[in-house]
Amino acid sequence: MASKYYDIDDILTEEEFAPVLFHKPANRVTIDPSAETNYVEQGAKVELPFWLAHELHLRQAVSINLPASFDQKTRLEIQADAACVDLRSRCPYFYEFGCKLQPLVTDRTLGILLSTAFKIRYKERLTKVFTATHLTASKFLPFLTIEETNLYEAAHLSMTAFKKWRTGGPRFQRASILGRKRKES
Amino acid sequence: MYGRKGYQLVKDFASGEKGQLKPFNSKLFDETIEECRQNQRLIQSLMRKMEQEGLDVQNNRNADYYGALVHHLSLIRNKRCLMAYVHNRADIVRDLGWRVGLELPPEIQEKLTTLEKEYFKNHSAAIKSYMGKAGIDLNVDMVPPKDPYIKVRVVGDIDEGIVMSDKTTNFARHSMHFLKRTDAEPYIARGQMEELTG
Repeated sequence: MASKYYDIDDILTEEEFAPVLFHKPANRVTIDPSAETNYVEQGAKVELPFWLAHELHLRQAVSINLPASFDQKTRLEIQADAACVDLRSRCPYFYEFGCKLQPLVTDRTLGILLSTAFKIRYKERLTKVFTATHLTASKFLPFLTIEETNLYEAAHLSMTAFKKWRTGGPRFQRASILGRKRKES
Repeated sequence: MYGRKGYQLVKDFASGEKGQLKPFNSKLFDETIEECRQNQRLIQSLMRKMEQEGLDVQNNRNADYYGALVHHLSLIRNKRCLMAYVHNRADIVRDLGWRVGLELPPEIQEKLTTLEKEYFKNHSAAIKSYMGKAGIDLNVDMVPPKDPYIKVRVVGDIDEGIVMSDKTTNFARHSMHFLKRTDAEPYIARGQMEELTG
């Protein structure tokens, strides 16, 4: 866990919202939008970011339910055709967030859902990176989650490196850290 | 409230291109710190309220306790976001030290704070002294070249009268030269020259 403290993707994954049910009341806290005062009632249903929900769950103040991105509608779509589901609009960190939720919610089927979705999408989409033209690839890129996009870019980079090795090219390049070249006027 | 500013700060960092810096967002940084202060003030007032009611803070889990807990967790979250922001930027600055050497082009300089520039200077000096003591230049290409000389074209502005290891040359713009690899490498990394193949 210590090594993920500074990890930007981990921080952004934990920002995803999850619905919780409060078992204890909380004073001077304005996270319940339906409450008029800054008080959270016992039994209130609120959407909290995962980092807060997780910590409160550890202290037995709340219980976590499955967010909408993992609901029945998404499950049916994944069963029908996993490769075409727009997972990014539901949850850009679908897999990471699902993995974090899995030990905390009572739903046993979440793990199976995640692994089947990933397997099908990997087989159908990500393996086609090497042969797909730019046009077909660009149609599906907006549907990929952040984790899948990272895999896609890694495959693309190794493909480019291989082509460069085959054809030969300048070995030295301007350090990529300096950013794109500005057009000289 | 509740980690929002920290989240915005991290999002700002993530929205830049991977491995490249955006200008240091001191406005968001200060706003995050201000949010931490608000959380701290609320924690203290809730703790005082509990003490006034004569309740032991450790053992009594009432509404005030959970309110203070939420604020405490938000503060820790903001701290994590601030630390991650600075840490990831420092990683990139260190990387710059290895790739680019001691001089930074001005467009990068304006993205760093004074502390980051200080860090960069010290780190580059440490690298240089390390390479001096080790006796070899660690920045050269790992693959042994077929030809120790390469053809380059000058694209940027370089000062006149640079001394190379075997001659002194004037680097006019768009002029082409036949240089030793090791001499040309730092200029290519900075984007002031480009290698000509074929």
